[in-house]
Amino acid sequence: MAYVSMGEAHRRITEYLNRFCDAVSYQDSSMLCRLLSFSSNSPSLLSLADALNVFQDASSLIRQSDKFSEYGEILAHLFRSLQSYRVGNLVEAYLAFEKFANAFVQEFRNWESAWALEALYVVCYEVRILAEKADKELTSNGKSPEKLKAAGSLLMKVFGVLAGKGPKRVGALYVTCQLFKTYFKLGTVNLCRSVIRSIETARIFDFEEFPRRDKVTYMYYTGRLEVFNENFPAADTKLSYALQHCNPERERNIRMILKYLIPVKLSLGVIPKDELLQKYNLHEYMNVVQALRKGDLRLLRHALQEHEDRYVFPLTSYCTYLHLNCIVAVFLRSGVYLVLEKLELQVYQRLMKKIYIIQKLSDPARAHQLKLEVIAKALRWLEIDMDLDEVECIMTILIYKNLVKGYLAHKSKVVVLSKQDPFPKLNGKPVGS
Amino acid sequence: MNQGGNTQTVAPLDPNPIEKRYGVEGSQVQTSPYQYSTGSDAASWTTHSVDNQVVQQNGNYSNSNYYHPQPPVPATGNVQETSSSTSGTVNVAQDYSAYTPYQTPSDLQNYSNTGYTNYYSGCYQQQQPSQPYTQPVGAYQNTGAPYSSFQNPGSYAGTASYSGTYYNPADYQTTTGGYQSTAYNSQTAGGYVNQTPTSSNQGNYTSNPYQNYTPDAANIHSATTATATPVHYQQNYQQWPGYYSQTEVPCAPGTENLPATSAFSQSFPVAGGVASEMPASNGQPAPSYAQNWRQETDSSQPPPQQPAAAVSASNNAYWMHQTPSQQAHYPVPPQNHYQSPLETKPLYETPIQGHQRATYPQELNSQASIHQAPLGYRQPTQTTPSVDTQRVSKIQIPTNPRIASNLPSGYTKMNKERSPAGATQTPAYVSVSMSNPKGHTSAMPEPGTFPKALCGFVERAFARCKDDKEKASCQAALKKIITQATNDGTINTRDWDIEPLSTVLNTDVTNTESSSAPISSLQNKSPTRRPKSRWEPIVESKPFVKPASTFTSGVKFGGWNHPNVNNKKSSETFQKVDAVTGSKPTYFAQNSAKKSFQRPVKRQRFAGGAIDDEESSDSEKELTPYYSSAMSLASSADEKKRRDSRSKRFEKVQGHSRGNDIPKPKISNVRRGTALRLGEVLDESCGSRAVEDMDWDALTVKGTCQEIEKRYLRLTSAPDPTTVRPEDVLEKALSMVQDSPKNYLYKCDQLKSIRQDLTVQRIHNHLTAKVYETHARFALEAGDLTEYNQCLSQLKILYAEGIEGCTLEFAAYSLLYITLHSNNNRELLSSMSRLSKEAKGDEAVRHALSVRAAVTSGNYVMFFRLYKTAPNMNSCLMDLYVEKMRYKAVTFISRSCRPSIPVSYLAQVLGFAGTSSEGTGEKENDGMEECSEWLKAHGASLIADSNGDMVLDTKASSTSLFMPEPEDAVAHGDRYLDVNDFFTRT
Repeated sequence: MAYVSMGEAHRRITEYLNRFCDAVSYQDSSMLCRLLSFSSNSPSLLSLADALNVFQDASSLIRQSDKFSEYGEILAHLFRSLQSYRVGNLVEAYLAFEKFANAFVQEFRNWESAWALEALYVVCYEVRILAEKADKELTSNGKSPEKLKAAGSLLMKVFGVLAGKGPKRVGALYVTCQLFKTYFKLGTVNLCRSVIRSIETARIFDFEEFPRRDKVTYMYYTGRLEVFNENFPAADTKLSYALQHCNPERERNIRMILKYLIPVKLSLGVIPKDELLQKYNLHEYMNVVQALRKGDLRLLRHALQEHEDRYVFPLTSYCTYLHLNCIVAVFLRSGVYLVLEKLELQVYQRLMKKIYIIQKLSDPARAHQLKLEVIAKALRWLEIDMDLDEVECIMTILIYKNLVKGYLAHKSKVVVLSKQDPFPKLNGKPVGS
Repeated sequence: MNQGGNTQTVAPLDPNPIEKRYGVEGSQVQTSPYQYSTGSDAASWTTHSVDNQVVQQNGNYSNSNYYHPQPPVPATGNVQETSSSTSGTVNVAQDYSAYTPYQTPSDLQNYSNTGYTNYYSGCYQQQQPSQPYTQPVGAYQNTGAPYSSFQNPGSYAGTASYSGTYYNPADYQTTTGGYQSTAYNSQTAGGYVNQTPTSSNQGNYTSNPYQNYTPDAANIHSATTATATPVHYQQNYQQWPGYYSQTEVPCAPGTENLPATSAFSQSFPVAGGVASEMPASNGQPAPSYAQNWRQETDSSQPPPQQPAAAVSASNNAYWMHQTPSQQAHYPVPPQNHYQSPLETKPLYETPIQGHQRATYPQELNSQASIHQAPLGYRQPTQTTPSVDTQRVSKIQIPTNPRIASNLPSGYTKMNKERSPAGATQTPAYVSVSMSNPKGHTSAMPEPGTFPKALCGFVERAFARCKDDKEKASCQAALKKIITQATNDGTINTRDWDIEPLSTVLNTDVTNTESSSAPISSLQNKSPTRRPKSRWEPIVESKPFVKPASTFTSGVKFGGWNHPNVNNKKSSETFQKVDAVTGSKPTYFAQNSAKKSFQRPVKRQRFAGGAIDDEESSDSEKELTPYYSSAMSLASSADEKKRRDSRSKRFEKVQGHSRGNDIPKPKISNVRRGTALRLGEVLDESCGSRAVEDMDWDALTVKGTCQEIEKRYLRLTSAPDPTTVRPEDVLEKALSMVQDSPKNYLYKCDQLKSIRQDLTVQRIHNHLTAKVYETHARFALEAGDLTEYNQCLSQLKILYAEGIEGCTLEFAAYSLLYITLHSNNNRELLSSMSRLSKEAKGDEAVRHALSVRAAVTSGNYVMFFRLYKTAPNMNSCLMDLYVEKMRYKAVTFISRSCRPSIPVSYLAQVLGFAGTSSEGTGEKENDGMEECSEWLKAHGASLIADSNGDMVLDTKASSTSLFMPEPEDAVAHGDRYLDVNDFFTRT
């Protein structure tokens, strides 16, 4: 920490105070944002933090002038937070920042117009980020991480401030997205429901009027939720919306969306092009797509096993995530394992179709009769050992799920395929409907 | 480390007291070395709690009996008041009213927040008049009685009603008996529940008094006895300080206590040594004790030496303080209160008793004698012998029932031991006398104003009184003795502990020997009761309520009050109090000071006796609000100083008590008992305290029950060590249950009781895991999913703690449970992701994973194959899904297969075959039977094909299949909540 003289420290603090008060009185939102944005690690903030650590009695400075003391509570907490943040005491920093945020929100509530929305966004964001950092610190000290949870309830409070009528409502979606991020991290995804309800049922405000950025984020998270609920059509629309409105420059965001959209599309029978996978570096899906194309059950199972750790996202285990971050960091935190697993039936369908086509080539007249033995033999080629009972079981499921049209003659151990469209395509409908 | 911390904290405190002492000595004490010592005590007193004015008063009265002056004053006051009270209820009522506020504070202390407000209202109303205020002091002492009434009304109405206060005083004095019983009850949940609100209040109250008592006891016993008590003591002290500060007179007693405490704390710093000494003292209580005393006196005499004094010195100092404190107490009626509270606390007493018995049988007697002396004191002060007698009688009554109960319960041994010691007077009482000493010791703390020993002496004497007459005679005798002692100036110097009860009793006896004997019995009983009192019904406490006793107490209080009134300071304090309400700063400062002091003490406690620590901390917390209020009341700088010093003293005292406690742990039983009591006390008196601040380790029970079989009964109170099985017995119990041929209900019951015992004793090891695993398996076997889930959640915690067990087996179970029953994808994913490589290699886990795959894909063939090859109890969990899976399979099949499918095939594929019988041929047939039954029940249409084999008509079935309602299904989903079932049960 660079040495800062007392006078210099005094000057810096006073300057900051002046800027803060000016920003508030001139309703200069962008300036306010800059003054609050901790995680930007801007040099001015860092030097201020140094000054604060030298000049310990900043509160007296605040008290000196009426102009400052009007926001005395806000500034005092902010300074304390900044101080702790600078010296690396993140838990303290978070606690002070939480107090600051409460005071700020209180002040924000009193402001008629929504000029400070941007600043509020910054506050919400910083609260969440600081909480995560504080939790990391707590975990490394062997304590239970709980700050993110606290941040969640704080954000919920902020949401309550914004969710009403009026110009401030525009900000509600941003806070919602911060809440989503918090809840997804915490694994308390079910808490999202109340927020979603209040966003989607409120008719006073059209969803489209929210900022696009927030809309995309919102759709991404709600789409993910739908994936967990295995409601694939809904997940498809939401994720597709997010993809369509996403800034095409932001490849990382696109990739994040695709990571969920691709399995959803696959389960709806839509197979992506290889170029897409390559472009967005989604190699983990390559083999899955390949297996679907070829009807290669073995490949699918391999791919699943290989990436199981990636597909299985420890959703409910934020704590385990923190504790085992070295291990868990390997995980592709997606949670699409169960979705991909369900692709197995489609692979079977593909395999049957393959057999059917081959039979058609050799003996078109009896092509629509698939002997179970033949299927078992085909599976054996794929190094999957199944007896006839099991094959029969698979076939009944395929027929039941409408992936294969026809019927199974138990006595003769033959699947009799329908002559018309024996392997109907899903065409965007989920399996089994 | 703790000791170190204590010492540090103590150090600052000590210097002050010492200095003060010197000053006091210089001003007041001049004559004898004894006085010197007393002077030192007094000095501590004065410095801490007593105002300069008080000191001056004392000085005016006499050097040696610094305390005496006060007593006389109270006496006069008392006389007036008492006379008025006795003669006219009106006066008494006034006193009481004043008193009641005071009591409320005490209640408040116990209850902390709620009581507090009441206290304020009460105090203010009453306090404004200086006299009422002083009276409150007296009331305070009496408080025990007002308590009950007080709590109920929370208002003065109760106070106004003389009877109520009355009653309380009676309790108060008798308190040992009544209190104990109440406290006891409160401690034991059962008894507590039974008790009326008043009783509960009493219980709380008792806890406080108890605490006070305990410190005294600790002092008396040389800290050996009071492990838990110290904390209480502190609490009480804290509370008291407030009182004291408010009224000078009370302050004096408190100050006395405080000095003692300070001495204690000093010894504490030495703590390590003290603790070690303590055990030694326990083992050889009498010798060490005596030595300590002497040393202490010596140390006290040379003021400078005390601070530097070694542990022994500290002990000595401690003792010295005690003696002075006792003296101080003497003047103050509160002693009686103290005694009662002390007695009330069963835990405390038991340990004390044990110590006394073992180590100090003689001492006990001596103590008793001392106590008697205090009694004599009281009489003079009270000036109304009748009152005393009444008290005695009341006391006796309560004590007797208690004693009886206690004796049978588990203290018979103690009683026996005691009996020889105390036998001098009456055989029956002998045992009682033993307990009495304890009670006295406990009483000692309260007496704060009088020399503890004296208080104890008085209590002992009273304890021996069987009826009012005896009490009266005893009181008269005590008065004589005490007045004589005061006149001689030997009150402080006299070793009341050693003073033979017989002197008083004999004199008493001459007056009323029989009465003295009963009293002793009562006292004895009360202590004995304490341990068991928890369990005892509240009813016992009732006897205490006798009007006569209340009267006496009232008189005493009145006397007290008068002294207070007389004291200019008291009025000042009142005014101050009024003003103070507005002035917070002083209050804060005091609080902070307190906190700082307390903290170190707490640490010590933790290091030493966990139980005591907990209580003390709790008590501190509770007290703090009260204390703070009291602090706020005192606005004057003098008072602040005094209070600060007092608070310091308290802290010190706490430390001492802790130190005392530390040695105790050796006696496991005592410890447990104390733990239990403490826990109860905490629960009741400190309900408002934060749970997280309690040291649960200290409250941990160590079971002594040797029964292998035990029925499960949900605990409604603190666990009784005698009904809790230790680990080795639990192990046997577990294997017994495992091998038991009885049904699941029995096993579940037994396992639950084992689990309870484990929990109560906080056993977290492989045995715990084993018990839960066993129970989980049995529950699975019986399909008891609720119990299974409970076990599993516990197991997860245990496994997370690194306790070894069948981790993988239960990982498999939990996987299965999630896939088959909770159907929560997120949960499933997280539990899957938590599986380690090693876990995935485990047979059971692999099985569970394949079951999951089969279920998600609907692969019924795979499912039923896995069902048949399930390891461990996996099949039990799968059992619960079989029905669904079969139905699913039949729906699939009837939709997909044409035209029909043989039932035999279904029976084979759907796991019917082989489930019912062993033989291969039979198996098939039985499977067929069962399968067709099942199919029919689910609406499938079965026909016979050309070969006569039963086949499933798939086309017909595909539309007719249905899932039959389970026969025992209930609309709300829980068949155990079936209304009809409910009716039949009721």
